Amino acid sequence: MSANGRGKAIMVLGTTSDAGKSMMTMAICRILSDMGYSVCPFKSQNMSLNAKPTSCGHEISMIQELQCMAARTEPTFRVNPILLKPACDMKSQVVVEGKVFGTYDVSGYYDDFIPNHSFGIVKNNLDELLSRFDYVVMEGAGSPAEINIYDSDIANMGAAKMADADCILVTNVEWGGSFAYLLGTIMLIPEDDRKRIKAVIYNNLRGSPDSIKEGATMIEEMTGIPVLGIVPHISNRLPNEDSECFRNIKETGTGSTVIGVIRVPRIANFTDLDPLYGEDVTVRFVTEPSELDTCDAIVLPGTKNTTSDLRWVKESGIGDKIVSMKGKVPILGICGGYQMLGRMLSDPDGREDPSIKEIEGLGLLDVVTEWGDGDKVTVRNEGTFLKTGEPVKGYQIHLARSKVNGPPLFRIESGDEGCCDDENMVYGTYLHGILEKPAFRRFFLDRIRPGLAKESVYDEYDVNLEAEIAKVTACVKDSIDMELFRRTFMGVE
Amino acid sequence: MMALMVWGTSSNAGKTVMCSIICRHLKRKGVDVVPFKGSNLSLNSYVTDSGAEIGMGQALQAWACGMEPEADMNPVLLKPEGKGSIQYVVHGSIYGDGRSKPDRSLLLKEACVSFDRLSDVHDAVICEGSGSPSEINLMKGDIANIGMVRERDMNVILVGDIERGGMFAAVYGTWLLTPKDIRDRLKGFIINRFRGDPSVLRSGIEQIESLTGMRCIGIMQYAPDIMLPEEDTVSGHVAGSGRFDDIRKVYDDSLDRLTDMAEDSLDMDLLDSLI
Repeated sequence: MSANGRGKAIMVLGTTSDAGKSMMTMAICRILSDMGYSVCPFKSQNMSLNAKPTSCGHEISMIQELQCMAARTEPTFRVNPILLKPACDMKSQVVVEGKVFGTYDVSGYYDDFIPNHSFGIVKNNLDELLSRFDYVVMEGAGSPAEINIYDSDIANMGAAKMADADCILVTNVEWGGSFAYLLGTIMLIPEDDRKRIKAVIYNNLRGSPDSIKEGATMIEEMTGIPVLGIVPHISNRLPNEDSECFRNIKETGTGSTVIGVIRVPRIANFTDLDPLYGEDVTVRFVTEPSELDTCDAIVLPGTKNTTSDLRWVKESGIGDKIVSMKGKVPILGICGGYQMLGRMLSDPDGREDPSIKEIEGLGLLDVVTEWGDGDKVTVRNEGTFLKTGEPVKGYQIHLARSKVNGPPLFRIESGDEGCCDDENMVYGTYLHGILEKPAFRRFFLDRIRPGLAKESVYDEYDVNLEAEIAKVTACVKDSIDMELFRRTFMGVE
Repeated sequence: MMALMVWGTSSNAGKTVMCSIICRHLKRKGVDVVPFKGSNLSLNSYVTDSGAEIGMGQALQAWACGMEPEADMNPVLLKPEGKGSIQYVVHGSIYGDGRSKPDRSLLLKEACVSFDRLSDVHDAVICEGSGSPSEINLMKGDIANIGMVRERDMNVILVGDIERGGMFAAVYGTWLLTPKDIRDRLKGFIINRFRGDPSVLRSGIEQIESLTGMRCIGIMQYAPDIMLPEEDTVSGHVAGSGRFDDIRKVYDDSLDRLTDMAEDSLDMDLLDSLI
């Protein structure tokens, strides 16, 4: 840490969403940690439906949790003090410092929350982190050159100013136009802020770096901002941040066994499925009943809005289809999907969707769910899988409570958890991440077909994540000019 | 002869569909209009009645014009064969012995031959660019974007995809990187795939207009359930899951809906004045 007792801030900006900011932030956290510094990630505002509770029960974005792992620091709410979770009707639930703060529409967010609350929240948490860590590696959000909302942008240059950060601008070369995106971004940022951009990275290149070197040099000459690196496409199994990633993806994996995941409109915490990608299966995202015909198992994932997504499930015909497959293939519901498998869901105050006070579930489990006035549950859990006694772990994020009348699946700190109808192969749980530990994942896969679960791969998902972080970091480190990085961002001569 | 070039800020910005919309719009006005793409990099090709191979996007655009696809609509088709190898299809047939790599200036000349044949017979030619026009490392050999605009007299509009953000930067950056000799041909831009209340964009649009002199032609809202063939090499989505007896009819209805949308939300007078 510097003499003034304040750490140094490095910020990763992107020319678009999905430019590779999260991955680059993660890699820089690990690079600095490997050098022996204390490091912490930070993203002032994140819009994502993939959230996870910290050990203190504060809800933060999943990707900041991963970056903490890369930085080798325990996640706290400070690393992502504002989390926006898109709900229904173009509104978002705003989570501040890990707890629900309120629900805002777009204009309420920009006219009230941003001017009245956001700056203090971001500054306090940044100051706290900068006083405790040698380096704070900040991640921007979207593009920093949204000139229509520039002065309200606390996620990019606003935060960079507060932390006095030096910035790296990342562009994804995959879609083309990256020179224009880079130059335009740099030139639209007002000069005072522009000076903070100290280097650019061309990311996600498939092919030879020679193909863009000439253009990169021309942009460098025009802007005076050097190229820190040209980073290739890095295939990895790290969790994805937002649903951008499967805009166009229908299937992942190559196994002959197909697991149909119901692609509900407000799908949340779909990283629950990541451990399946290491198994010998194909994960198919299902939006029509006929796509279930050739599925060997069904997963109903979590959702930000159970009742309106349940209505979608029923109206699309997928609901009836799932019911007709009862007893034929294993069916797993996680969180919102678990609630849907129950008999009845009542939400008298319309907390999920004001137009739905009550809706019948699929009736595959004897579970009744009610949205009362209770606070949101955000907790990490450990326990045992009751069928085998093996350890499991996971985490819960939900508002409603369920009354269960059936055999539980797990025993956790608070008692019995989940519900099953093993004879008909129907399973439900509130535990996100339940497939990460081998116990339940193996059980579920074996219910599809005995022997389907792989023995060696992915025994411990955390261990695998750690290996993935190391792999991605090594690749980034090889592709960037570490001399330039040390000189520019670490003040090393 | 009327002509317009439509560039995109990236692949998959919405050029193909925007050209189709403009074609359909002109057809509705009774204009004899044809589509054209000087050079297309795509594996999705269509075979015309006379057996010529062209990009799928130009087939769609031909249908938007109410006509059958022809070889001249896409005189150069590049089909990646993997490992950096490309098959060249020129005027609808494989070039040479299928292994030879034609010179870029020859390809541009052939593209102009096709363009001239179309413009001799028809009233308007709506041209589509390829990828982003601002790949400064590739500009010298460019055919579909800068090449055609330099060779033939036409205005240019730019389609910016706002879905991933950074759209203002992309539009401004593309303008900045357009060579000075043709930059004043860039007359306007369309914001594509927007979700929400367009009024939040106003101050940004005004800044881009005053920085570049381009006019914002309008904002197209995100249209999620539109069924059109995918032309692009980047996107993995395959339209047409076999649920329809006549997919052409589905495309046609989609185009009509999109054109209605465009005629409601874009400044069509301004657009018409640029063609």
